[in-house]
Amino acid sequence: MSQRLYSLIAKVMNVPVSQVNDASGPGSIDSWTSFKGYVLLYELEEEFKTKFTIDEALDVKTVADIKRHLQNHGIALN
Amino acid sequence: MNIEPKLSHFLTKVQNIEKRKFEKKIKIAILSSFTINGLAETLQVKCAEKNIDCKTYVGGYNQYNQEILDKKSGLYQFFPDVTFLILDIRNILGDLFYFPYSISTSKRRDLINEKTNEIVTLAKTFVNNSKSKLVITNFVQPAYSSYGIAESKIEYGFHEMINNLNTNLIQKFCNTDSVYLYDFNSFVSLHGEKNVVNFQQFLVGDIKISLDYIPYLANDLMAYIIATLGLSKKCVVLDLDNTLWGGIVGEDGFDGIKLGPQPPGNAYMEFQRNLLALFQRGILLAINSKNNPEDALKVIREHPYMILREENFASMKINWNDKVLNMKEIATELNIGLDSMVFFDDDPLNREYIEINLPQVNTVNLSSDPSLYSQILQEINEFSILKITNEDTTRGQMYHQQLQRKELEQTSPNLGDFLAQLGIHVLIKKTNNFTIPRISQLTLKTNQFNLTTRRYQEEDIRKFLQDDKMLVGCAQVEDKFGDNGITGVFIVKKEKPTEWLLDTFLLSCRVMGREVEKGILNFILDTAKKNGVQKIKAQFIPTQKNKPSESFLPNCGFKKNGEYWIYDLDIPFESPKYVQVNVE
Repeated sequence: MSQRLYSLIAKVMNVPVSQVNDASGPGSIDSWTSFKGYVLLYELEEEFKTKFTIDEALDVKTVADIKRHLQNHGIALN
Repeated sequence: MNIEPKLSHFLTKVQNIEKRKFEKKIKIAILSSFTINGLAETLQVKCAEKNIDCKTYVGGYNQYNQEILDKKSGLYQFFPDVTFLILDIRNILGDLFYFPYSISTSKRRDLINEKTNEIVTLAKTFVNNSKSKLVITNFVQPAYSSYGIAESKIEYGFHEMINNLNTNLIQKFCNTDSVYLYDFNSFVSLHGEKNVVNFQQFLVGDIKISLDYIPYLANDLMAYIIATLGLSKKCVVLDLDNTLWGGIVGEDGFDGIKLGPQPPGNAYMEFQRNLLALFQRGILLAINSKNNPEDALKVIREHPYMILREENFASMKINWNDKVLNMKEIATELNIGLDSMVFFDDDPLNREYIEINLPQVNTVNLSSDPSLYSQILQEINEFSILKITNEDTTRGQMYHQQLQRKELEQTSPNLGDFLAQLGIHVLIKKTNNFTIPRISQLTLKTNQFNLTTRRYQEEDIRKFLQDDKMLVGCAQVEDKFGDNGITGVFIVKKEKPTEWLLDTFLLSCRVMGREVEKGILNFILDTAKKNGVQKIKAQFIPTQKNKPSESFLPNCGFKKNGEYWIYDLDIPFESPKYVQVNVE
């Protein structure tokens, strides 16, 4: 499941999937702009059939944050 | 229903647009009062798919006023061809968007007039500073009103204010050259306000058009790019069985086909009505069908529920020949490129066959459900042109007259006899507000008989008119079968008192082969002579499509000199025998 998440992030950020890990975020991936961050959230909602709250959307700083929020929505990733 | 890929598809694809030689190029600027990221990338990808090199400039966030007012802004330094100004009503009305009833009715009216004037002034400033076309989005009228169902009982209420602002903009810009109003309100109606406006995206990132809908918006805006570059489609080529009517006429018979006011026959009537509407605005219709001509023609001529009749078709290929061959023959007959054609056929195998052999033709992926045909047709935005001229509205009729001319040509013993019988009159017309849109349109669209293929927008033609060193003219061609409208254009640069340059000389394909071009040239040479000019310089700049005009200059007595062709005005020009030329 983590791989599915990493692949999606790699696709949106246009980077190799090997560059994505739980610590990845705007600080480590140059193409992770705030706009790409919104695009990612929208793709995640589509992919995992869920809806983030505005607090969750604003809270995402790293891939680990995404995992945490997805888990809170009942989506197990590991 | 046209399904667009997600925005991320375009954001990824834009990185991989291959560096190659594109057929066309365009520079697009985007100004907005909110976050509109992703639109530029989507437009670049969509342009590349149509072989257009698209460079984009995106103004700073909500910086549209500064960009337009500052003559030295990045916007003007970019020299765009088309500029999209995308505004949100919240930015225009401020707090009054939420509390419109906190001011009186008369103040609400004053506010809308004031906002109209602000936008008009901004547009005028832009037009004065740039050669670009300006496309302004109109405003979305939200379904919501704080007054709820009482909204319609209020004089000049919230909804009426926005409606009024939109109407004002139509009135202000409908006769303004180079400013166009994009009906964004209809875009939102089509896709649904609940879909296009995503409150979370709006509140988190000031994204007022949901990321889902950016590709759909880009698809709509492509119409302006296609029209600006003169790439609009000119002809719809149609199959018959299961396309214009249900069933197979050769098997089901005249009375057995599905065509009538009851379902499913009404789906075909609806499709035909939409096609007729396109015909009435200047899109040509043609038939490419494997059928017994007698069976099919009987339906076209006599079926009580047939909407389209013989006179609506500029070409009819109803036979058992190869469809690719038919398609090529239609293109030749109508003197249009295969890339100007859109093909409708219910049979996926026929579609695939055309797609493989004639990739230039836009083969529509038609649904197996005829009730969707009309919707599919309506979603094709490639018929768009920026302004409909008189010539557009009568084009179908003119092509029908062309068929009659062809019949006369076939029965005439020789070309001279045919031309003499036609009784051709050429009227050289003045360049003015009525003729400028058509002159520009011809420079943008004419490919075959076009010596230099220089493309000029309406604003360019207007500037030429102000310039003493330029001579711009056009020609209206009539014969015994009817009026072809304005079908010839010439632009002359008076480079020296004794030497003029033929910058542009073109003829619409519908009057080619009738020596009209010689009549127009004769007028130019005469005018030059009367002005003391000794030489006319001309150029033939070859393209993939202008072969038909290649021999025109040598045939008219021009002599090659380096990259130019020169006509010495001491040599008398033999004007064509069968063409009568008059000047307005």
